[in-house]
Amino acid sequence: MSLQDYIMALAPEVILAIGACLALLQGVSRGDPRRRLVAPLSLVVLVLALIATVWVGVPLADSNPPGVRVTELTYYTRTIALAIGALILLVNWHLPTTNERGEFFSMVLFSILGVTLTAAANDLVLLFFALELVSVPTYVLVALSRDDARASEAAVKYFFLGAMSAALMVYGFSFLYGCAGSTVLAGSPDSIVEYFRTTPVMPTYAVIGLLLTFAGLSFKIAAVPFHVYAPDVYEGAASPVTGLLGFLPKLAGFVALVKVLDTCNWNLPDVLYWLLWIVAAATMTTGNVLALLQTNVKRILAYSSIAHSGYMLIGVLVGPVAGEGPMRDGVAAMLFYIAVYGVMNLGAFALLSAFTIRGEPVEELSDLGGLSRRNGWSALGLAICVFSLMGLPPTAGFLGKVYIFSSAFSLGDDHAFRLPLIVLAVVGVVNSAIAAAYYLRIAAAGYVGEEAPPRESVGGRPVRWALAICSLAMLWWFVHPSDLADPAHRATAQMPPSPAAHTTELALKETGES
Amino acid sequence: MESWILTLVIFSPLAGAAWLAGGDPRDDRATRDRALISSVVTALLTLVALALFYGASGGADDGTYCLEVSHAWLTGSADETAPVDLRYHVGIDGVSLWLLVLTAFLTPLAIWGSFTGIRTRLREYYALMLVLQTGMLGVFCSLDLLLFYIFFEFTLIPLYFIIGIWGGPLRRQAANKFFIFTLAGSVLTFAGVLYLAYFGYAHGGLERFTFDIPTLTSMGKSGAIPANVQWWLFAAFAAGFAIKVPLFPVHTWLPLAHTEAPTAGSVILAGVLLKLGTYAFTRLSIPMLPDAAVTFAPFMATLAVIGIIYGALAAWVQDDVKKLVAYSSVSHLGFCMLGLFSLKMAGVSGALLYMVNHGLSTGALFLVVGMIYERYHTRDISQIGGLGRPMPWMAFFLVFFTLSSIGLPGLNGFIGEFLVLLGTATSPTTTDGMPGGPLHYGYVIPAALGIILGALYMLWMCQRVLFGPVKEPPHTPDTSTGLTPDLTRREIGILAPIALVCLFIGVYPKPVLKAMEPAIALHILQPGTSAYEDDKMLAEGPVVPRPNEIGDRLASALGSSSPADGANPSHDCGRRVKPVSAHAPHRANEQPRSDPRLTDGDRNPADELTRREPPG
Repeated sequence: MSLQDYIMALAPEVILAIGACLALLQGVSRGDPRRRLVAPLSLVVLVLALIATVWVGVPLADSNPPGVRVTELTYYTRTIALAIGALILLVNWHLPTTNERGEFFSMVLFSILGVTLTAAANDLVLLFFALELVSVPTYVLVALSRDDARASEAAVKYFFLGAMSAALMVYGFSFLYGCAGSTVLAGSPDSIVEYFRTTPVMPTYAVIGLLLTFAGLSFKIAAVPFHVYAPDVYEGAASPVTGLLGFLPKLAGFVALVKVLDTCNWNLPDVLYWLLWIVAAATMTTGNVLALLQTNVKRILAYSSIAHSGYMLIGVLVGPVAGEGPMRDGVAAMLFYIAVYGVMNLGAFALLSAFTIRGEPVEELSDLGGLSRRNGWSALGLAICVFSLMGLPPTAGFLGKVYIFSSAFSLGDDHAFRLPLIVLAVVGVVNSAIAAAYYLRIAAAGYVGEEAPPRESVGGRPVRWALAICSLAMLWWFVHPSDLADPAHRATAQMPPSPAAHTTELALKETGES
Repeated sequence: MESWILTLVIFSPLAGAAWLAGGDPRDDRATRDRALISSVVTALLTLVALALFYGASGGADDGTYCLEVSHAWLTGSADETAPVDLRYHVGIDGVSLWLLVLTAFLTPLAIWGSFTGIRTRLREYYALMLVLQTGMLGVFCSLDLLLFYIFFEFTLIPLYFIIGIWGGPLRRQAANKFFIFTLAGSVLTFAGVLYLAYFGYAHGGLERFTFDIPTLTSMGKSGAIPANVQWWLFAAFAAGFAIKVPLFPVHTWLPLAHTEAPTAGSVILAGVLLKLGTYAFTRLSIPMLPDAAVTFAPFMATLAVIGIIYGALAAWVQDDVKKLVAYSSVSHLGFCMLGLFSLKMAGVSGALLYMVNHGLSTGALFLVVGMIYERYHTRDISQIGGLGRPMPWMAFFLVFFTLSSIGLPGLNGFIGEFLVLLGTATSPTTTDGMPGGPLHYGYVIPAALGIILGALYMLWMCQRVLFGPVKEPPHTPDTSTGLTPDLTRREIGILAPIALVCLFIGVYPKPVLKAMEPAIALHILQPGTSAYEDDKMLAEGPVVPRPNEIGDRLASALGSSSPADGANPSHDCGRRVKPVSAHAPHRANEQPRSDPRLTDGDRNPADELTRREPPG
């Protein structure tokens, strides 16, 4: 394979890498005007990468260079990571001080690069590298984001726990390699997929390998019991960075999870299936119940991000049902949900980033008091994002919940885990009612709360644009969800249907129609 | 015109809200005027819809859906082969028509009634009222289950803010309780909705993953859903709807929300929003899950009866007039539920009429109470008294709506109450050999007791507020906002139309009932569970009233002329019907295949609803 093949397949990644290096160089240049150019430069890089993504599309399977496999899932992940990455950039526009701008924005670009590379990776080594490329810049960003001890504490906490999870994951990968004798995920005769396909009963070592891999990925998506860092880190980092933390690692984690499950043909041994079931239920419940006890908006949103991971795990557990669309296809529903979640969550953090009180960031519920009277449009934007997080119509968050829960309800009768998954969906539905209680407090703080001390607006236009785009996207995707649902639907087209998900009844139906 | 009139009705308040929001924030007068104009335009559009309903082929006569629009929406996939089929599907029939009209009628009056009461953040207030109206109108027009749920849930958001921002001292608590109670129930409904759609796709023989209400209704009626699934679904649906109604053990959010809400919020809450629950039972639970409806009917009716008595007793001991009216709503909505679960034409049409009546009279009572409150700044009965002398107009309307509320014959409340009790009493007993004769006389006796209690506490309230020595709190009446000691012309203008409609329905309910009955027969009740249409029963010739007859007879009994009242009123409650004569009109109703709407390929004819056999 020539270099050209790599460049063709990885054009967006190449652009991002070059752009990140340029941003770093720009940052160390003299003269403030040049340093100020870093943010626009990063935005241009993201747009170029997005154009490259569309231009490259999904190449034929045999034109992929070794280690890389560009699929529909890659395409979808690249698109949403770059588009929402651009929004993240807008929210962070004003945050770094002038002499840190280069480092800051190059770290943002590197983190996004990690996400897109995760989606393209077809080799355990590259996958591990890509996942770490998502996380390592975020450790730096947390530390850079604020000039106080809390941010440093959060960064250290985040780094150590992240390092441990990386160790667990790479240990798990080594087991998988030991069993399969290959690090290639799919697409070649000696890949791990082929190994699992030809092995009727999964050996214990493979189970251990998957278990450790899940543990490592649970950290990325903040699932129980690897969620404990989330509230402290979210609180410690500045709000714009928290908006990033809530999305990029989570997207990478879920995409990697889908890839790993795809590698074992969605055919997990029962013990692992039950384990993921328990993790999903515990994640939702823990996140929502603990969020009820918080008064700090960032901590509320941190716990809510844990809870949302739980909802998304339902979709992963249901698995792909290619060609059926997100109403039945769990993975497509999850992919839809994670994009919606990224946008609505970012909208809430954009609002927190847009104001300060006497130079201090807006963080407590009481800081939002009187928002609707003095900053009506911002309050409306926050309300839309919060109602979307709650899952109420007319927002895209509602449709996300429709897709996720409906995919669980519509498993075939002979699916071995049909009843447990229906129970899980009911747990999720009850959880979304619990969640309403604390989301309502955020919305209420802006509209019916006691008047807070006067707030100063910070961040200027970019962060307000970001808030506006986030809230309008929530409304737009409600009216016209196929913009997002169709690509999500296509992204699962190449996945093997989970064997148990094919029901005899539906199969009969298909034959009956033909 | 016919195809887009309902869309126009539903979304015109939303456009009004946008128009309002674009106005000058300091010009309060213009804001109020724009809100009122917008809601009046919606009311006029609804009148157009009403006219078209009567003009539409068969709409008023055979009970089919009219003014339908159906667009693919949220299919979840661009290619047509994907099985999911969510639609923007709206349409009305006789069941939803009057609730739609009620909503369009009450909202402008509620907005007009807020002109002096609301003095802060006017633009937001009126915009939210209009947005709320869109949600309510949408619920009554939806013929797609998910669309229904979307509108149903959406109403929470504006009302939450209306209570939370403009309410009384405990407004935040009240708004939170209202929101969380309602949402907690309706998420379970949400799960039920999704499961029902899946069930229709996988087991009900439906081609697509559809949420279409007519399709799902015919599936439910065809018996494709096994009993245990029906029970689960019924329980899930009831979790959301019963809280909204509110049925007895889950009513506790209502008194607080009513007491704390601003006047217009209470009017809309009592007048329309509670009906979303009863309407949902009528439109969804009963027709889609007929077996479960029969099974659960005694349970639901028992809760309804407990609610009737409990609400009445609780209302009796209230000192806060608004709370008293709120508890009376609990009692009245119990009647609605009782009538619905009699699963009889008389009971269901009575319950639907009761919903409209309750919306009118209770809405008006809340308006009157609000007018007293604006002048005296208290709703405590012990602090005011003898107001009949300084406020004769108010006294007239309070007495009028009290009488309407307690069901004085000649006013609207009576008809609904009477039909509900009639339906409950004639709901067949097990001695008829009917599989499901859910209710019987046993439920009528406590319900009738509730009527007596209702008369007691309402009249006692009137006595204490209006008669006896004049008692006014110091420094009142407050006329600083341009009010006069008695009602102003604006206030009389608000109450008089409601009073006229109450009187009209009281003496001539036939148009309302006549439009309802074919639709109930076609969409709500069905052979097998409904008493009056069952083949076996008709063969045996039991005592049943005929559809369309009760309203005529009642109207004739009340002294109005009716073209169909040849029968002797003394045989009022029912008579032995010849099987053939009663049979023929129903069979005519039951031929949806002859309906041109069903040939458009989107809808599955009823005969395809049977479960498909696996080939080979």
